[in-house]
Amino acid sequence: MVLVGVSLIVFAISHLLNPDPAHLWAGPRASASTIAAVRTQYHLDQPWWTQLYYFFQSYFTGNFGTDPQTGKSIISEIAFYFPNTLELVIATMVLIVILGVGLGYISGMRYGSAADKSIRIFYLTCWSSPYYLGGILAVLVFTSYIPLFPSGGMYSQTLAPISRFTGIYVLDAIVNLNGEAFLSGLYHLVLPATVLALLEFGIIARIMRSSILDARWSTHVKAARAKGLGEGEVRRNHILRNALIDTNTMIAVTFGFLLSGTIVIEEIFAWPGVGYFTYQAIVSANYPVLIPCVLIFTLGVIVANFIADVFYSLLDPRIALGEGGVT
Amino acid sequence: MITSTTGVRKILTSNALSLFGVVTVSFFLLLTVAQVASSGRILPYDPFKPDFTVANASPSLGHPFGTDLLGRDMLSRIVTALPIDIGIPIVTVLVSATLGIVLGTLAAFFRGWLDEVIMRLTDMFMAFPQMIMSLAIAATLGPSLINVTLSLIVVWWPPYVRLVRGGVLAVAAEDYVSISKALNSSFLYIVRKDAIPNILPSVLVYATTDVGTALLTLSTLGFLNVGIPPNAPELGVMVSNVGYNFYLFPYQVVIPAVLVAVIVAGFSFLGEGIREALDVKLRPHLLFKKESLKESGLLKPREEGPTPAVTN
Repeated sequence: MVLVGVSLIVFAISHLLNPDPAHLWAGPRASASTIAAVRTQYHLDQPWWTQLYYFFQSYFTGNFGTDPQTGKSIISEIAFYFPNTLELVIATMVLIVILGVGLGYISGMRYGSAADKSIRIFYLTCWSSPYYLGGILAVLVFTSYIPLFPSGGMYSQTLAPISRFTGIYVLDAIVNLNGEAFLSGLYHLVLPATVLALLEFGIIARIMRSSILDARWSTHVKAARAKGLGEGEVRRNHILRNALIDTNTMIAVTFGFLLSGTIVIEEIFAWPGVGYFTYQAIVSANYPVLIPCVLIFTLGVIVANFIADVFYSLLDPRIALGEGGVT
Repeated sequence: MITSTTGVRKILTSNALSLFGVVTVSFFLLLTVAQVASSGRILPYDPFKPDFTVANASPSLGHPFGTDLLGRDMLSRIVTALPIDIGIPIVTVLVSATLGIVLGTLAAFFRGWLDEVIMRLTDMFMAFPQMIMSLAIAATLGPSLINVTLSLIVVWWPPYVRLVRGGVLAVAAEDYVSISKALNSSFLYIVRKDAIPNILPSVLVYATTDVGTALLTLSTLGFLNVGIPPNAPELGVMVSNVGYNFYLFPYQVVIPAVLVAVIVAGFSFLGEGIREALDVKLRPHLLFKKESLKESGLLKPREEGPTPAVTN
């Protein structure tokens, strides 16, 4: 349902705003017959309802045709770019969860203390920084002033190429048992993933902190203490576990957001990801490419929400038992 | 609703965070107003006139923020950018909040098919990747300040509909609304007297922080050179104009980017501060600190914050 809606929005935007992008696709020096050929190939000469039909047909057959600008199959292009972004996003999410949950927990448990205040100022400041500030500062400091990390790319160009299985470089290196490639991949991943995590962990920390505050003084925690449970037990099973329920939702939302939100970081770190690929498609009005990209992002959001649902049932036994709503 | 001005002052100065927010936000707002009112006469230099004799000058007394690669004074350009960088986010948030209040109230009061249509539409727009959508719209409409505002509004309104609808639904279930209905009050009267005053504080808190978020997205569009005319003074555009020269002249990147961060932080600290001050989930040891606020009658229940964008 949501997928259909999202596709309709893409279709509407692309067709209302720029009904005839054949000139752009064929290139500035294309002859009239080339433009006409492109127009026929992408059904631009047909009325909009016929185009809508072809549009949905491509959804059901999974065949999105060829990229009008590079001539390659769009699916193969996405299969190349998407795992790269996935690698970056997964690494970032690991850091975000550690930072966000950890700092949010400390901040909530020490409400009102100096630690709480400094953590809040820290995450609000990070959260307020634009991507380009974080990215450029990191490149400036860690590759120029203190040359610790490479300034861009996914792996060292001097290494022999490794065979692709998942498309995620670090994983492929493990599958290939290529230690050197693995370290190189990891080494190139550190800086962009850390920057992205620092810029995005604030929202998780904030939700975590307020959920901890909600849970800390609630009656069930008082009851647990009254029962004589140890402090560690109370914190682990009664405060932390309850606080993680809300945070879980936000982690899924952040994951979905990051899939398409890494454009700036990908550009600064020369990371060949799907966000940057989509940005290029947008700038050149390359709708046949844009549409499957958006589809991938929306699917990513749906998958992230599904994983979050699984975690819900692990965290909150009431949901697994189908008795949700009894509080 | 916040009615007394002394109360507002008390809330905002009650903690250091929101105090920082108030100071930053009012400083930049005043500067913006001064810039617009004087139509640029407060600037030390012409922000558009290149002067190659001083190109890429480092920050000095004459040029406190240095000059860019065409020799234009950075300080003047930054002040010229403020009406765009603060104005557009404020307009975006105002229009979105208004749309949200109208649609959310309609959905919550009339339920039925109208609610269904409005909420499904909202869900669809929320499921769409925000950044991609505003990039796509801004890119296809072509570079102009009005187009970029439009592209922001299109992705900005859905959370407000959810926020307002949730709040109004809670209000509509209250006894005093039922009584008002029984007394044959008109729909508009109930909205004006019961619904709006109850939801306005939570919308206000959300919108304050949201101005900052809108600025982040706006300047990112500028950084990616989409939507904003390349010559317009805009902080994101200024950062991207430096290009790979940032290794040589880092101040040209760092100063505008840090300013964006400061303005955004100002708005989000302010929002956070108001939220904290209005929060009445009474936490034991905070009671003492908030005694004075309670006396001024400012601690009133607030609605839940906006529900996170969960789609399926």
